[in-house]
Amino acid sequence: MKEFNIVLAGVGGQGTLLAAEALGIAAVKDELNVRVSEIHGMAQRGGAVVSTVRIGENVFASTVTEGQADILLGFEPLETLRNLKYASEKTLVIMNTEKIPPSELAAKNMSYPDTEDIVKKIHAIAKNVVLVEAMQFAKKAGNSLARNIVLLGALAGTKRLPVKTESLREAVRELVPAKHVDVNLKAFQLGLESIEKHLTEI
Amino acid sequence: MPDSKVLLQDASGKRMLLLGNEAIARGILEAGIGVVTTYPGTPASEIGDSISEIASEAGLYMEYSVNEMVAVEVAAGAANCGVRALTAMKHVGLNVAADLVMTLAYVGVRGGYMIVTADDPECYSSQNEQDNRFYALLANLPCLEPSDPQEAKDMTIAAFEISEKLELPVFLRTTTRVSHTRGPVAYGKLTKAKLRGDFIRDVKRLVMVPAFSRPKHEVLLRQAAKAKELSETSPFNRVVRKGKEIGIISSSSAFNYSVEATDMMGLDAGILKLGMTHPLPEKMIGQFLKAYSKIVVVEELEPYLEMQIKAIAKDYAPNVEVYGKTNRQFFPKEGELSTRLVATGLSNVTGKKLPIDFQKMSEKYAEVTKNLPARPPILCAGCPHRASFYVIRKVGGDKALYPTDIGCYALGIAPPLNIGDILINMGASVGAAQGISKVTGRDTIAIIGDSTFFHAGIPGLVNAVYNNSKVVVAVLDNLATAMTGHQPHPGTGMTGMQSTTERILIEKIAEGCGVKYVRVVDPFKTKEAAAVLKEALQQPGPSVVVFRAPCTLMDAREKRRRGVKIVPAVITDKCTNCLVCIKLLGCPAILVEEGKVRIDENSCSACGLCISVCPYGAIEGSCAE
Repeated sequence: MKEFNIVLAGVGGQGTLLAAEALGIAAVKDELNVRVSEIHGMAQRGGAVVSTVRIGENVFASTVTEGQADILLGFEPLETLRNLKYASEKTLVIMNTEKIPPSELAAKNMSYPDTEDIVKKIHAIAKNVVLVEAMQFAKKAGNSLARNIVLLGALAGTKRLPVKTESLREAVRELVPAKHVDVNLKAFQLGLESIEKHLTEI
Repeated sequence: MPDSKVLLQDASGKRMLLLGNEAIARGILEAGIGVVTTYPGTPASEIGDSISEIASEAGLYMEYSVNEMVAVEVAAGAANCGVRALTAMKHVGLNVAADLVMTLAYVGVRGGYMIVTADDPECYSSQNEQDNRFYALLANLPCLEPSDPQEAKDMTIAAFEISEKLELPVFLRTTTRVSHTRGPVAYGKLTKAKLRGDFIRDVKRLVMVPAFSRPKHEVLLRQAAKAKELSETSPFNRVVRKGKEIGIISSSSAFNYSVEATDMMGLDAGILKLGMTHPLPEKMIGQFLKAYSKIVVVEELEPYLEMQIKAIAKDYAPNVEVYGKTNRQFFPKEGELSTRLVATGLSNVTGKKLPIDFQKMSEKYAEVTKNLPARPPILCAGCPHRASFYVIRKVGGDKALYPTDIGCYALGIAPPLNIGDILINMGASVGAAQGISKVTGRDTIAIIGDSTFFHAGIPGLVNAVYNNSKVVVAVLDNLATAMTGHQPHPGTGMTGMQSTTERILIEKIAEGCGVKYVRVVDPFKTKEAAAVLKEALQQPGPSVVVFRAPCTLMDAREKRRRGVKIVPAVITDKCTNCLVCIKLLGCPAILVEEGKVRIDENSCSACGLCISVCPYGAIEGSCAE
């Protein structure tokens, strides 16, 4: 494997950091070289955030070069769109459908674009787009806050990751508070199964 | 990270995924450092925060100092008693500490002492992107620059050996991309922290009056010459790749991009990686220059290496061409670098075509994302600053001027609050307000946070009383250093050792400084707060209004812990969709969907502010004022 690049894009507070860290921990468990980039501080206050995970022997930098993402995991539709600079034709885009309207929209009395329009725009750059209703699965698992773990499960469900699914589960166990482990592992499983259905399409 | 306790594992050889800053914290434990001081600041904060969580267990002393200058004073005091000490800060913190650091270089240290300066190319969370390697050059002190978390840990340990050998403080200069990158780190052996030291009286060494400073300057220069010898043989300075086409010299994250850009371009390049960037290994660089006709210097921000390398070239290889960012610009001086930017620069130097058509890619991206609404950071739903700003704007309107300061409340500049007319550095709001008020005669309200007030606001306040300036100082006290991760400060009654202490009240300080009109208000009681602020503006001299309410993130965490349910506010039938709540507050929990106002129950924190501004009484909730 040359390198495997994952871009996780969302809004501050959605749990992109934890999902990226889980991928990093899983890579270390599988004895792979890995770099994870994060943005802390001011940007976290409800602003656009992006974390990147790069796995591979010759990986030095933690940031992904334009067009080089293998998977773009969008936690929010507009943020998925914003981070298409990392995508190319070969990139698999997994997008959470949950819309978080930026304050600019309310201030200008504008409405949030339709999901179909967003998907159409993504298709102009990346061929494969899979939608995940993370909120629905998180609630089903028992806690709406577990959306990020649903999406992590969805990533595992693609069967494209260089890390073992079991290592990811272990990482989740380490990262979430003990009393929330069961809910999160359930969320992970629901996310994973939701993607498996699409596997033939992608 | 699951828990900072994993840093305490006595498991030599174990590989762990650590943030650059956590790797430095592990280095602190492996080097047996006794005293750690810091003032929080992105991207340095997690060094102090991880140590704070484990300090008592690790048997070392840790403190959140009141500012970076005091942090260095405390640590340098301990280091001069033979204890190993470390101070961590963001780049601009070193400006605050610079007065001390410049002369501490003369005094030196007995126990090892390292200053972490975490620079922020691209201003991810800062007011500027200054290149602090120049402080090493200015102060004649050694400087190490890691490029990944493993090196951040290794260099932390090595810095103490260098520091003790030379009896000088050593800088570790990281950047956001090093401090906030996670990577595998191999654990080494833990060393028990040495906390006890002894002070040896030595006036000629420690008291910098002119007669003793002059000879100490000579001592410093002699030690700097020794540091240069160490740099020549440092394992952190090495040729990592041999190649014929061109030679690349690089450091820090720029090194990472250089390796990947070279691979992407298929260049047969030699790469000299510099990890000790002050003093530079002149002979090593000279030998490297001799092997090439073209040398490319790849570094972020200022041409710090390039200028010195050009000087070295004059002595060692006068015919070599050095490409970088002086004269012709192959790389930008502003912002952070990337593999793309480095590859583009290398392509321009060598004439070799880029294998990826980035230009075309960018054009397509621009087309697809045309008119995409921006999503800048904003004040959280329920943030008490929003209530304070609502009150301040209601009273001061467009006529008053609002110098502001460093912290979450800088986000008040966003519409519709529009509070914040000038922002430069920590504490400057209080001083700037006085100059502005004196020459404009306009109502001037300085906005400053609690932690910033303690850090650098107090001298400005004393100045306002002394020089009888007619300003209002509005201290937005959310009971934490919130922006950087809710660290405690002198007004919280908690310490970095996570024990309780005397709580210092801002209003008492203001009174002690001689301010005649001092009031504390709850920003969510908007009417009362507005009346107080109005009165404050009537005062002939300076006045202080403390707007006190806890950070909503902290408050929500506390409520979750206690099992208190947050019942969000709701919009009733009385709503006319006049949008006044949105136009006045810009709260992210208030949305417009299909022309109708709605409160998002997932993000509403039940602060009640919208209830008090709705002209139709159409918002209800248990949280009403």
